[in-house]
Amino acid sequence: MTAVTAVTDHTDQADHPGDDEGREDGEHARVEDDSVSAHESAHKEESEFAHRDSVHNEEDDSGHARVETGKDPQEPDSAEATNATNATNATETSSASETSDASEASEASDATNSSDSESAWDDGLIARRVSATTEGQARPVKEAVVENRPPVVTPLAYDGPLRSRLDALRELVGLSRTRLDSRTLAEAGRVLDEAVARRRLSGQHTVVAIAGATGSGKSQLFNALAGVAISETGVRRPTTAAPIACSWSDGAATLIDRLGIPGRLRRRPLQSPEAEAQLRGLVLVDLPDHDSAAVQHREQVDRILALVDAVIWVVDPEKYADAVLHERYLRPMAGHAEVTFVVLNQVDRLPGEAAHQVLDDLRRLLDEDGIALGEYGEPGATVLALSALTGDGIAELREVLGHFVAERGAAARRISADVDAAAVRLWPVYANRRQAGLSEEARDEFADRLADAVGATAAGEAAERAWRRNANRACGTPWLRLWRWCQDRREPPTGRLAVRAHADEEATARQRVEQAVRTVAEQAAGGLPAPWAQAVREAAVRGAQGLSEALDQLAVRAGTPVGRPPRPGWWPVAVLAQASMTILQVIGGLWLLGQVIGFMSPNLGVPALLMVIGIVGGPGVEWACKLAVRGPARRYGLEAERRLREAASGCGRARVLDPVAAELLRYREVREQYLRVTGIGASAG
Amino acid sequence: MLQKASKIGHSSHVVTLDVRPQLLDALSALRDRVAAARFPLPLAGAPRARANRDELLAQLDDYLVPRLRQPEAPLLVVIGGSTGAGKSTLVNSLVGRRVSEAGVLRPTTRTPVLVCHPEDHHWFSGMRVLPDLTRVWVPQQDAGDDLLLPGEDGTRVLRIETADTLPHGLALLDAPDVDSLVADNRVLAAELLCAADIWVMVTTAARYADAVPWHLLRTAKEHDATLVTVLDRVPHQVVSEVSRQYGALLAKAGLGDVPRFTVPELPESAWGGGLLPATAVAPLRAWLIQQVQDPGARQRAMARTAYGVLDSLKSRMPELASAAAAQYAAALRLTAAVDGAYDSEHARVRGRLQAGAVLAGDALKRWRSYPLDCTAAELLDALAESLAALLLCAVTAADERIDEAWRREPAADTPGLTDRDPTLESAEHRIGMAVRRWRRVIEEYAEEEVRQLEKSVAPDPEVVAALVATALLGGRRARSAGEGLAERIGARGALRLRDKGGRLLTDYLDRTLHAERERRLAPLDALDVRPEPQAELIAALSVLQKER
Repeated sequence: MTAVTAVTDHTDQADHPGDDEGREDGEHARVEDDSVSAHESAHKEESEFAHRDSVHNEEDDSGHARVETGKDPQEPDSAEATNATNATNATETSSASETSDASEASEASDATNSSDSESAWDDGLIARRVSATTEGQARPVKEAVVENRPPVVTPLAYDGPLRSRLDALRELVGLSRTRLDSRTLAEAGRVLDEAVARRRLSGQHTVVAIAGATGSGKSQLFNALAGVAISETGVRRPTTAAPIACSWSDGAATLIDRLGIPGRLRRRPLQSPEAEAQLRGLVLVDLPDHDSAAVQHREQVDRILALVDAVIWVVDPEKYADAVLHERYLRPMAGHAEVTFVVLNQVDRLPGEAAHQVLDDLRRLLDEDGIALGEYGEPGATVLALSALTGDGIAELREVLGHFVAERGAAARRISADVDAAAVRLWPVYANRRQAGLSEEARDEFADRLADAVGATAAGEAAERAWRRNANRACGTPWLRLWRWCQDRREPPTGRLAVRAHADEEATARQRVEQAVRTVAEQAAGGLPAPWAQAVREAAVRGAQGLSEALDQLAVRAGTPVGRPPRPGWWPVAVLAQASMTILQVIGGLWLLGQVIGFMSPNLGVPALLMVIGIVGGPGVEWACKLAVRGPARRYGLEAERRLREAASGCGRARVLDPVAAELLRYREVREQYLRVTGIGASAG
Repeated sequence: MLQKASKIGHSSHVVTLDVRPQLLDALSALRDRVAAARFPLPLAGAPRARANRDELLAQLDDYLVPRLRQPEAPLLVVIGGSTGAGKSTLVNSLVGRRVSEAGVLRPTTRTPVLVCHPEDHHWFSGMRVLPDLTRVWVPQQDAGDDLLLPGEDGTRVLRIETADTLPHGLALLDAPDVDSLVADNRVLAAELLCAADIWVMVTTAARYADAVPWHLLRTAKEHDATLVTVLDRVPHQVVSEVSRQYGALLAKAGLGDVPRFTVPELPESAWGGGLLPATAVAPLRAWLIQQVQDPGARQRAMARTAYGVLDSLKSRMPELASAAAAQYAAALRLTAAVDGAYDSEHARVRGRLQAGAVLAGDALKRWRSYPLDCTAAELLDALAESLAALLLCAVTAADERIDEAWRREPAADTPGLTDRDPTLESAEHRIGMAVRRWRRVIEEYAEEEVRQLEKSVAPDPEVVAALVATALLGGRRARSAGEGLAERIGARGALRLRDKGGRLLTDYLDRTLHAERERRLAPLDALDVRPEPQAELIAALSVLQKER
């Protein structure tokens, strides 16, 4: 029952009623069409055209592009014609010599092309034209078109911005190959290949395909434009099974080859001077339907639609709102609006006002599909109503097509739209959601975390306290030192003794290093598209290998203080003062002792004063030293901490941050290329 | 319930409806199972399974159950086809007046219209069939431009019209186009077709080779529904040729015995929204009336479609069941990825703990300077912090692994599974809480242990706590901490304390990692993907098969 709802998803299970049917039914469809029935029967016509076409093929292939002067009144004189022949030769040999290596060969082909044609065209007047052509490759195509050149196969030239965008896309694909899977890049690669392939072929011609649903009158319109019944029309659905090409001027053989249309399906339009002049350079391709149950028709349509320069969508009042047409073709090709025509055929079946209503509704639907409509002189799709049966509106289409073909910009515009579409498809793998990169805070945070991992803060504090302890001990009263020494002997020697034993132990906290690396990678990768975020993460993880061991060694080196701890200049003074206080105590004590044993004359005042000074002054000096030592101790501790912290952060920067930054730089480079592809970034250099 | 009756010409199963209540019970049980099936994980087959489920449910609710309950209800003929095939014009012409607007703009019919005899009105006014559609009683009077505007505000409606020109027991339903640009229309059209006793497929001379209608025809064939095709808008010059070719295509598709009617394109009616002359649709009308009024034919038409739907369950239910099984398998894979990541991280954390990884960095520096330049409280702080860092590292590593594994799983694309809010901060918070709690308990243990000692030799409980924590977390490099502990509180006390502390540590570690794992699995659990639906669906089907 899914088949009922899943309208656009029916590729897999469709078997093909009708297409075999069409073949085994031998009789040709009767054509009711007035204009067509005026001509000979389709069968005869076909054989005649096939014959003429094969002659053309021979001419093109052998390189002798004999100009049919009899048929074309605007043909230049014979001198130019021979030149044309030479030029054709040159171009063909050069294009034949091109290898399949697409990206580099295109540049090479340009060079050989211009040099070859220069040698072939070395009389004065035309040489100037040649230089104009080579310049014209750099300038927009339109200017090159203004000169009325003879109909030679001149390769297509893209204008500056488009070329730079294509170059950027090529660069982008090259840079991204290691990061993205080939499936993501396939579309971009295809666009590049097509752009190169199209550029080698004629720039004088515009390939326009007529596409549409079965029974919309594609073949009728094709015949109406050609002026003869080339394509078989009929009531059997689907009618046209294979694409048919019709070229209005010479030199389009290679273009049609590219579409894979065999020689027997190439036709020429009815020879009439004014039609020839109007549509010169047009190559019209009649496609099979895209919506019938015959799956291979749709495959053919899809293949050719990717190769043509422009498309005329033929819709009819019955089918113009089909989901298949809009959802599968028009919406995905909305970016190609400038090379799209939408033609409402069979308006003769609509009574009066209804035609306008339907046309308006069609415009509304196209607008909903996101297709820009070329109204009021804006670039966009052209929407017309016509009737191929009565010929109503055909002249208008012919005129619009004539202008379109004369501009000769369709191929470039199509490629440009392709590049746009590829860029849009690549948007998720290149666009960042927010400013990518490592902020200063993230770097600082990483350094802090590494410092934590090696224990810089604790080491600093320990150094500070040890220094202060030593200073206090040095400047303390001797009695206090004596007491401490005794106490030390009594206390169990926990901690500090055993720790020294293992020098090779894991002094760095592995989990903190791991977490620090993960956090910084996460911060750096934040906002990046998934493949690039992954690359950044991988770079960080790769850099983090061995980081802990390096930090271990480093902590041993930087953690041990160099030499003896520095002593401040006032230290000897303090020690001297403390010593003199002790001496005063001793002197006072001895004096008093002398008086007690009667060895000295009794004088209580002075020795007592001396002793008091000594007893009070000792702790006083100690206290003063304690105050004074606070600053240097703090400096010493901070210095120790800083040394460890800097060593750790330097190690982290070299091993982790730099690779990450390099990866970010690579991403930024790629993104710049991407912006150039989208046309937003720096214009052509 | 469907017994073969005497064969009357037609090649199809000639059967009559005979419904037993057990069958109805089995059917409604099956309906409930289908309604309960959910396919929340975005697997490759999930959208299809969801659509299948909805369609099956709609067909059961809209057609099969009501039809089996009330075989005497009028036959519902649904007219379906591509946009612009002239369905509305055909309905109008069959009824003989304008009941459904026809027009040149596509899609024309956005609101389905049901036409029946006035006396049959009660069959459709209730919610017996198509219960999802709101009934609209008053036909829109403002004919003209307003008809061309899009329908109501999103609510799906069914307009019911009555006409005495239709015979008793026949209802026509003009469905929206099956290939509409408006996706809702497509779904609605499919649903309406599911509710039909007789499917009328309308196609045109320009469309008869389109892929979409052929899919419908194939579906109809699959369900073995009573089917009629109408080839509409055939220019009179080519009637015979087009008709012949269409017939050949039908025969090739195995639908050669389907009644086929041809309606020519007539200038006065084609685009004006008017009516075709009665003669143009007379054969179709006669056929439909015959289906309704001849009891045998009526029974046959009805039974064939019902029988077809019941038969189609045989293939559709296993399809749903296998989709349900795939869902469960995917959920299992996701869960296994989470479990695997957390298990391996758990093992790693235990290994690191035993190796004394917590006593590193800051903690190690503190420990080295412990008795002289560092207090016990500072040492405990550093150890707790280091432990929290170890746990946080394990949790984030596990999350990273899960993300990595889930990236390869299409099922992980469910909203809420991967694009969770950055919970790292809160994980840090939760782990910090757990570690602080552990520290407090260790301190309590130490106090308890110290209290048992004599007052004179009792050491500071904080020192004991710091030493026991160091001994537990420091591995072999904290051997001296153990010795110090034994010196302070005695060998037995130290052993007891270390045992208790170790158990506590394991307990907290398990609990923390388990909580994080559960948190990670919560959105997946919320989807409630269970293995039962598969078995239940199959069981319901087999019960139904037995009851037939």
